[in-house]
Amino acid sequence: MKFREYEAKNVIQAAGIPVPAGFLIRTPDELTPHLAALGDAFVLKAQVDVGGRGKAGGILMADKATGTKVAKELFGKQIKGLPVKEVLAEQKLDIRHEYYLSITVDRSSRQPLILFTEAGGVEIEITAKEHPELIRKVVANPLMKDLPPFLIRELLGNAPKEIGPVINKLYKVFIEKDALLAEINPLVATPNGIFAADAKIIVDDNALGRQGIAVNRDLSEREREAEKHGFSYVELDGRIGVIGNGAGLTMATLDLIEYYGGKAANFLDVGGGAESERVKNAVRLVASVPTVKVIVVNLLGGITKCDEVAKGIIAAEIPQKVIVRLAGTNEAEGRRLLSEKGYEMLDTMDLVVKKAVEVTA
Amino acid sequence: MIYGDKKTGVLVQGATGKQGEFHIGLMNAYAQQVGGRGVVAGVTPGKGGQQVHGVPVYNTVKDAMKEHDIGAAVIFVPAGAAADAIMEEANAGIDTIVCITEHIPVQDTMKAVAYARMEDASVIGPNCPGLLSPGEVKMGIMPSGLFTRGHVGVISRSGTLTYEVVDELTRAGIGQSTVVGIGGDPVIGQTFVDVMQRFEKDPETKAVVLIGEVGGNLEEEGATCTDLPIVSYIAGVSAPPDKRMGHAGAIVEGGEGDAKSKIARLKKHGVPVASRVSEIPEMVRELFRCGC
Repeated sequence: MKFREYEAKNVIQAAGIPVPAGFLIRTPDELTPHLAALGDAFVLKAQVDVGGRGKAGGILMADKATGTKVAKELFGKQIKGLPVKEVLAEQKLDIRHEYYLSITVDRSSRQPLILFTEAGGVEIEITAKEHPELIRKVVANPLMKDLPPFLIRELLGNAPKEIGPVINKLYKVFIEKDALLAEINPLVATPNGIFAADAKIIVDDNALGRQGIAVNRDLSEREREAEKHGFSYVELDGRIGVIGNGAGLTMATLDLIEYYGGKAANFLDVGGGAESERVKNAVRLVASVPTVKVIVVNLLGGITKCDEVAKGIIAAEIPQKVIVRLAGTNEAEGRRLLSEKGYEMLDTMDLVVKKAVEVTA
Repeated sequence: MIYGDKKTGVLVQGATGKQGEFHIGLMNAYAQQVGGRGVVAGVTPGKGGQQVHGVPVYNTVKDAMKEHDIGAAVIFVPAGAAADAIMEEANAGIDTIVCITEHIPVQDTMKAVAYARMEDASVIGPNCPGLLSPGEVKMGIMPSGLFTRGHVGVISRSGTLTYEVVDELTRAGIGQSTVVGIGGDPVIGQTFVDVMQRFEKDPETKAVVLIGEVGGNLEEEGATCTDLPIVSYIAGVSAPPDKRMGHAGAIVEGGEGDAKSKIARLKKHGVPVASRVSEIPEMVRELFRCGC
């Protein structure tokens, strides 16, 4: 789950990384009591869950005189389609230089990967593409609680030494907060020292429980509902509902729909153990999406009981057509139950998908 | 064979849990069918002295190691205890550790994999179905009825999709040497590269089917580190960016790891990529036909 900027800044500030003085406001009027502390010029930053918000008009400059008016303007905006509900009002920094610092999980070395460059700021992605040599990289041993000083020296090169502690502190945040990404961009040098002007943290969804996060904000309501049942669920924009067991097989079913010229409405992985109750819940959930015209069920597994699955599909009693591919034990009984009720059961995933695409064409 | 054969004694950690018990039964039924040793010991802390399907259960891995010759372990414990289980097995001297458990926090996996590397143990998974060498050994949860012995190795990040591919191969009369599910998490122990290097040294394996998906770029590393002929398939061509497609590791992030660019890079290296699973058997046959 992504932290919003102010949440990420609270976390890194608690870890000892300096951040600009700032206040979170939820209405334009909430700005008034903070005007004295914000000084003459300050920044208003929309707290929306999208990248590139600066270029999309989500960051506005303001001063004492115009503050409330600018805040009203920002709260009235949509940033990449999202309404602005929270704004971070932040002291303006006297920026002399922008650095970039990030820590991610490196799949190849299976270790935390730390990136640092003196060419930080909004154009970091262009720098990464055109001048990768400017970005210094090290991997850290995940069994160590601190980064050894030599790794920090390698990252810094000729950059100011005061940045060293910031790197180690961010590394500790990365470990302690179960982060998949901890990023400061830009990390800025000012006459008053080093500050994190922006911060991004993504927490591992598998660690939300131990991080004390009860609700995964990144999920839609229906995705959350699916999570309660133990399903993996993703909303898409086509008309064919897809239920499979296992992420890979379900993805392959989606791809096959695209191959045959159709479009999937969603992705639902029922996971292991397709008992009739689970299957019923899955079918109902997918059928509740208004755009779904037909549902493809593609279940395979040596130990999946086809009669159980068939009972679940029948018990769901949904208006849409359901086309089924089942392979496992008790196949004949499953087929008999389904055909009795007029459901179509086909032998391969190619056949069910082709049929579903025909139905929606 | 890679990772183990008939003679490999297997330990199951989490032996007395529902999953552990169920799969000890299936693994040993397979061992009996092929004349292998199968699961020889179980471990559940506090349950030492019990038996599961006739398999003795110990409190610690070291206790089990004193009584049995063990070459591999399969883990069925809950996510919060799985990293510890990996480290316990590595520390006790087990060479191959298969971790079935899903939903382990990545930080825990990174630590456990780093620790296992220090102890010279190979971790398969987590969040994987394990491996199966037809006619030899099954370590994990793959449905053995779909498999047949032969000379094609399979490496996959998936579970059921692997069974689908194996089923297609078997129906087409193409047998498998070893099928390895390396897991759907962003951090896993044995990657495509590690398994490919084992296949390269394995006289049983003449070609490899590589089944990848969105997220990361390890498929290309795996496909380009070997001279073995390969057919590949990448799931997730239609996956939208920034959405986790069921597997924790199946996500296109920061514009990286999408299926189309993976496929393009594989093709650039001369690796044939199937657009549909059902095309794989014919493409494998083509590899053997042209002798490349």
